[in-house]
Amino acid sequence: MNDFRNEPLLELRRSSERDQLVAALEVVDATLPIRVPVILRGERRDGTGFESVDPGDPDRVVALAAGATSDEAATAVEAAREAGMAWGRQPARDRANVLFRAAGELRRRRYELAALAVRECAKPWPEADADVCEAIDFLEYYASGAIELESGPELIQLPGERNTLQHRPRGVAAVIAPWNFPFAIAAGMTAAGLATGNAVCLKPAEQSPACALALVEALEAAGLPGGVLALLPGLGEVGAELVRNPGVHTIAFTGSGAVGLEIIGNAATVAPGQRHLKRVVAEMGGKNCVIIDADADLDDVVPALLASAFGFGGQKCSAASRALIHQQVFDGLSSRLRAALETLLVGPAETFGVDVPPLIERSSCDRVERMVTEAATEGAQVFRVEDVPEHGFFAAPTIVEGPAEGSPITREEIFGPVLTLEPVASVEAACELVEAQPYALTGGLFSRNPDVISEVVRRTPVGNLYVNRAITGAMVGRQPFGGNRLSGTGTKAGGPEYLLHFVEPVVVTENTVRHGLAL
Amino acid sequence: MAAGTVDRRDELDQDVVRFGTRLIAPRRGRALRDRLVTSLLDDQRLRDALFRVVDVAPACDTPEALAAHFRAFIDGTGGPRGRVASLARAGQRPIPQRTLGRLIEAGVRRVARRFIVAETVDAANRPLGRLWEAGVAVTVDLLGEASVSTPEADAYAARCGDALGSLAAAAEGWPERPLLDRDSVGRLSRVNLSIKPTALTPFVHPDAPERGYADLADRLRPLLRRARDLGAHLHVDMESVDTRELTLAVTLDLLAEPEFADGPSTGLVIQAYLRDSEDVLDHVLERVGGMGRSVPPTIRLVKGAYWDHETIKAIQHGWTPPVWSHKHESDRCFERLARRLVDAFPIVRPAIASHNVRSIADGVVYARRSGLGPADLEVQVLRGLGDDLAVAVAAEGVRVRTYCPVGDLVAGMGYLVRRLLENSSNESFLVTQKRGVPPSELLERP
Repeated sequence: MNDFRNEPLLELRRSSERDQLVAALEVVDATLPIRVPVILRGERRDGTGFESVDPGDPDRVVALAAGATSDEAATAVEAAREAGMAWGRQPARDRANVLFRAAGELRRRRYELAALAVRECAKPWPEADADVCEAIDFLEYYASGAIELESGPELIQLPGERNTLQHRPRGVAAVIAPWNFPFAIAAGMTAAGLATGNAVCLKPAEQSPACALALVEALEAAGLPGGVLALLPGLGEVGAELVRNPGVHTIAFTGSGAVGLEIIGNAATVAPGQRHLKRVVAEMGGKNCVIIDADADLDDVVPALLASAFGFGGQKCSAASRALIHQQVFDGLSSRLRAALETLLVGPAETFGVDVPPLIERSSCDRVERMVTEAATEGAQVFRVEDVPEHGFFAAPTIVEGPAEGSPITREEIFGPVLTLEPVASVEAACELVEAQPYALTGGLFSRNPDVISEVVRRTPVGNLYVNRAITGAMVGRQPFGGNRLSGTGTKAGGPEYLLHFVEPVVVTENTVRHGLAL
Repeated sequence: MAAGTVDRRDELDQDVVRFGTRLIAPRRGRALRDRLVTSLLDDQRLRDALFRVVDVAPACDTPEALAAHFRAFIDGTGGPRGRVASLARAGQRPIPQRTLGRLIEAGVRRVARRFIVAETVDAANRPLGRLWEAGVAVTVDLLGEASVSTPEADAYAARCGDALGSLAAAAEGWPERPLLDRDSVGRLSRVNLSIKPTALTPFVHPDAPERGYADLADRLRPLLRRARDLGAHLHVDMESVDTRELTLAVTLDLLAEPEFADGPSTGLVIQAYLRDSEDVLDHVLERVGGMGRSVPPTIRLVKGAYWDHETIKAIQHGWTPPVWSHKHESDRCFERLARRLVDAFPIVRPAIASHNVRSIADGVVYARRSGLGPADLEVQVLRGLGDDLAVAVAAEGVRVRTYCPVGDLVAGMGYLVRRLLENSSNESFLVTQKRGVPPSELLERP
């Protein structure tokens, strides 16, 4: 895996790159709406089950999706089981080559795909491009990883016996993907399953079927055998069927905590005739805190906090939600943050330089409004950007200063552009607040004292701690990503151990002694 | 033909070496200090600890806090066994936290004073006047790094406006210095202020220069008017590549506005460490050439101060670094650009800013051989780094201008750390010079 390199992001500070993206968006717009079929056994069924829209202009339909049924989901699992046999027997190198080619396909289409994420998920350009790059990274990283995994780790060998550890595909993997990284996360979970020899049933989020189709198309173009990957654009019942289905072996899920817990519960039930335990790889929510020590460089803190809390409208599980600020610098930092909040541009995702794009759907805006109103009622001070477009699912970026202790706004995941500012007496006190949380996904620390840094590192429960930088933007291979506690199953996407969740280990010990001789 | 070219180049090179050798004639009283500094900075771990303590000093509200940081830095860097480390742990009885903190504070202030002329412009006027009297012109830089909000940008713009007024009042009393007061095009401004676009607008988006355009232009325009009315020079500094498109677009567009056709004197910066710096110069010369302003803009040629930032950022993003990888490539590019600037006179006024004596000597000798008057090429140095060089250049009858930062320690920390890094980089001309490398080697063609 040493030769893995992250796909370079587009250098958007060069106007030639920006021009290419704008041109690509025009091309994409001309093809809308994109028809997204159910793909089963390599065959397509068109239909008009549901649609996805441009969050910045909900009148624009981005995708018309067929709408898979529960029956189709069940059929897909059976078909995947059959097709998966041959796929799983292929050498890892051959499977990897398919994924490498699919990565190349995404790379070839990267401008167009970034444009699609801009339209379907309202990802601003830099984030849309990063999403495509991360999808490429996952395909390549897991492909290489599966090759390494196949050669197996060296076990202790004594005379007269030969020990080997092999990893077998578990069977059928159900991938239930979110909309906020419509390429990257879907590609990551799918690629992990495929690279290790599993067949995959992919149920994309209903908000982003067109992006999922592009991923499946890339794998098809790369020569993935028909039937190894099913595309099931659908609503909740499709996911429920996949979770329940006794033919599913692994469930890879990224999404909300409530759905995640339900999946984990349901997956634990062994259906009559089911001869395996289902394994759930779940990435769920967060309530991510950034601790700011008295010696922090506030010139760095302000932009990093704004980017972490409000980038992509706060719709990342890694987004900053609470700033726990040393009381010595609280007033100074909060007034700088409030003033800097006014510099944020709320606007359509396709406008270069937009800081806060529209949220994915109307209900997200309603949730933000509800929680902010509640916090204000409880006595918190609320600061918001006033200039927010009317049309589209826009929410005002909001700073909530001094929320009431234990207020829902300090406990619940908002998944919107809201940052609370809370004074703390010390870094120690901040650590206790973090410690008390059920979530443990990402965290941040701004301090210039090595002793403080090592103490926070020692105490933190979070899966990803970022020191003296923004807390979003984990890179495949460099910052394996995933949370602990109720934030997930402790798995690390883009890390060296992720593939182990998609395989079953088999150890073979062969006695090599014949007639007293070690042969 | 080819032989003739080589001869001319060799001849010019000999002149450059002769001139450069005069500039680096040994200076008195500095050898010991230089050796000490060099030996301190030779220890990479100690160097890192010192940078960190300078960096955090303004954020420490008590000497105890500063001392605690210092101890943690020393321990964290693996415990160097040098002079300062033993000072930190001195003997059987450790130095009390408070005393150690005070010592470090004093040290940091001492370092800061070397690079930062004063905390306020009013306080700076005296030392600036003394420099002028000694035959060295100045440009003032009001310290303060990025502005994150509109009020911060407004405050910086207001400070710039006030600084222009204060400097103009003080400069009236300065004595005539013909070399500093005029070149063959005409009068030169005594008041010279360098300003930073990232401090003038919070709307700097590398992927959307248009977002900062109006905001920057709206803060720059009143400053240009003020400078014009006071007869002052306003120089727009160049920062990282992330801001370049915005900086160039706004500055060049404003210069073309009719109200500024006859002033003020203004300037831009070209960074030789950028691989595409010659293209940028083409662009600037083309725009400036078509403007028909009566006051030609000054183009300050620098190597560039963000080499590490540009390189790290590019590597982390998987980009080809926009800067040259090797120092000699920047040096060569600098000489090419300097000659082009000299050739472009009087469409632009060339100013070459460097502490590399070879770079300076090459530009000066080339300008003389091209027939420019003695006041038509300016040399610029940084306060604290190029003070000796400034004296030597002035003694040769070449106009020299010292870049003088003004501001408090909190605002100046970013600047200070960059200067210290520059001053201690193994590739730095100054460090090489202090190590006792002979002039013939220092002055070799890059």
